[in-house]
Amino acid sequence: MGTHGKVLVIDNGSYECRVGWANSREPELRFRNVLTKPRKDRKKESGQQGATETASGSGEAPAEIQVGNDITNIEAVRAHLKSPFERNIITNWNHQEQIFDYIFTKMGFEGQDSINHPILLTEALANPNFCRQNMNELLFECYGIPAVSYGIDALYSWEHYQQKRKKVSDALIISFGYSTTHVIPVLNGKIQLEHVRRLNVGGYHIITYLFRLMQMKYPVHLTAITISRMEKLVHEHCHIAVDYKEELIQWANMDYYDEHIMKIQLPYNQVTATNALLTAEQKQEKRRELALRLLEIKNRREREKLREDEQQLFVYNKLRQLYEQKKVQKFERALEQQQIGSLEELDKLIETINSRIKKAQDRAKAAPRPSKQQEKLDKMPKPPEGVSQADWLAELHSKREEILQRKQARHQQKSEQAKRHTHAAQERMRIISTLARSEKRRKANGEEEDDGFGMNDNDWDVYKRINRYNDDSDSDADNEQLLECEKILSHYDANFDDGNSNQQAQSAAENYQLHFGIEEIRVPEILFQPSMIGSSEAGLAELIAFVLKLFPANEQQRLVNHVYLTGGCAKFKGLKERLAKELLEMRPFQSTFSIYEIDEPSLSAWLGACAQARKSNFSQTLTTRKDYQEHGSEYFKEHKASNIFYPTPKE
Amino acid sequence: MEAQGKTKRSFKKPFAFAKNCVYRPLRQISNLERNLKLPADRPTYFTLNAPPSLVPAKKYSDISGLPAPYADPHTKLRFANADEYASMQHMPSDIINGYLTVRGYTSAVG
Repeated sequence: MGTHGKVLVIDNGSYECRVGWANSREPELRFRNVLTKPRKDRKKESGQQGATETASGSGEAPAEIQVGNDITNIEAVRAHLKSPFERNIITNWNHQEQIFDYIFTKMGFEGQDSINHPILLTEALANPNFCRQNMNELLFECYGIPAVSYGIDALYSWEHYQQKRKKVSDALIISFGYSTTHVIPVLNGKIQLEHVRRLNVGGYHIITYLFRLMQMKYPVHLTAITISRMEKLVHEHCHIAVDYKEELIQWANMDYYDEHIMKIQLPYNQVTATNALLTAEQKQEKRRELALRLLEIKNRREREKLREDEQQLFVYNKLRQLYEQKKVQKFERALEQQQIGSLEELDKLIETINSRIKKAQDRAKAAPRPSKQQEKLDKMPKPPEGVSQADWLAELHSKREEILQRKQARHQQKSEQAKRHTHAAQERMRIISTLARSEKRRKANGEEEDDGFGMNDNDWDVYKRINRYNDDSDSDADNEQLLECEKILSHYDANFDDGNSNQQAQSAAENYQLHFGIEEIRVPEILFQPSMIGSSEAGLAELIAFVLKLFPANEQQRLVNHVYLTGGCAKFKGLKERLAKELLEMRPFQSTFSIYEIDEPSLSAWLGACAQARKSNFSQTLTTRKDYQEHGSEYFKEHKASNIFYPTPKE
Repeated sequence: MEAQGKTKRSFKKPFAFAKNCVYRPLRQISNLERNLKLPADRPTYFTLNAPPSLVPAKKYSDISGLPAPYADPHTKLRFANADEYASMQHMPSDIINGYLTVRGYTSAVG
């Protein structure tokens, strides 16, 4: 180790990347493993910003690609976020190169001509050779590192736990990642790679699932529901149900719901929000103000027009005077100027303007027209004489109810007729067939056989009943009556509630709340039931049972004696209890098992890797530049926490 | 193009990936490994996938997540009670489709 100097430890996770020197207590650099390229039209702007930054002394060329913590507002560029990862495998090497640039710049390598430090890098379990080949090429050729050591994050994490507690040789590690969940059996300190299984569900799926659910639950607040907010909800408020079905049934109970529901207040604008909730009176007041203003504008325009007319009239009168004073030449020239054909035309013009002015003056003098509001009030029907207002209103109420009921019945019939096999649809078919039959009989006899149809007006209702589309004259008339009723009722009855005013009762803030209840258990449950998001993979419990079955009974027991939970998603509350319940169900009666939660689940991999790098025999696990040159680019040195090297067969 | 995009850093040597190696989706890597005809017992990334579930999937309401004994034959949405059914009747089709795709439902007709 001494020959190589300090080791740089990089835990390259698909969610977060942690970078630090092996002898530090915690990573110097932590960032979301994403990058974004600002769009072309924004480039100029960011370039200018970059320029001002350089002026302030960083001496760096304006970076057009933002990585990790450099992204100031992640929500603004959410659609343009790029990750080198697909699931937990690096597939885009350009992006990975940008990430390395970022890492090494932030770690202060700017100015040196290569990265002259060994690197410990985590990689995916069973990382394909193709990917490691690319990684090796990138590290050795591009950055000129002296040596590298690859390992699996879950194993480092387990290592870390053992260092703090006690040494064990057998374990079942369950690693909850951002894009995958691994079940890793370890026997005699060696990973049983062929029996590892990976569930392709992780934190990413949980967050996206919540995001989609909330978007569909609250289509109105589409823009307020962001991935960042959903992440926070998942991190802070979700938990794993110990007994999912049991907790669901609890949630179905309204009292439980009211007691446990979490309401998230979204930011909202007081003014616009209350605008929609003004009382009817305030609305009328506003409308009146608006009308006044419009009237004023109209009056002003009329006055201007009047003044214009008067001026015009003055000019024309002058012309007329010219004619009367027999100044013919002057008169004709003036006519030409005004584009008037002859004397008659001039007279006509003068007349029209005169009448227009008169009209306007009359209008100004006349009393202002009664406002429409007043007219409406006058038109509003009054209770018939001899009936008290209350009785009349009650009558109207019942009338309205009746119409509503009729409307609903019609709606019901319509929706039932739309489906086949319902009684309504069959009844309709029966009526149609009887009608058709009677018509046929008539024709067969050759003469009219009157069955008396049509004698009674109600007979024609048959056609109404078989009409699929009930928007006929009946419902139109009903609608009109209903409107009339509601108008009168809302005018006279202060307590009248036509169904729309329900919303007014709520405060504006309540309209901007998200209810977060059942989601807190529903969302993380996809780890145990991937079928909820349409995945056909076995859930976590089933997967553990599957992996255990690959081993003989005695080894199964050795594995379940030490079950370790690690990774970011292991922070879910209730996870340990749930797994205990599931293990109890799958293990033989009265057998034992124990589950350990690794502390600092999201950081322990990095800490374990550091511990490994500080060991005296660390240099034996390093793949050096010489190894790389001798054994080819896919080669790496195996060690306790690494993958197993299977060379790609030669053709 | 690519070379322009890269910023010059002192610690980097001129380097470029082979053109077809810069970006390979996972599916291509999977095909690549399959074509190698590895021995059957050799574990690779793609053999470690979780097996398909043998337990019948539980049915939950698409809207509330409650256990759902019913399904609407028209929209194919699952629902737990009459209230949910009523709310479904006024749902726009894009939300219905959204719920169905989240659950991974695809109709045979397409």
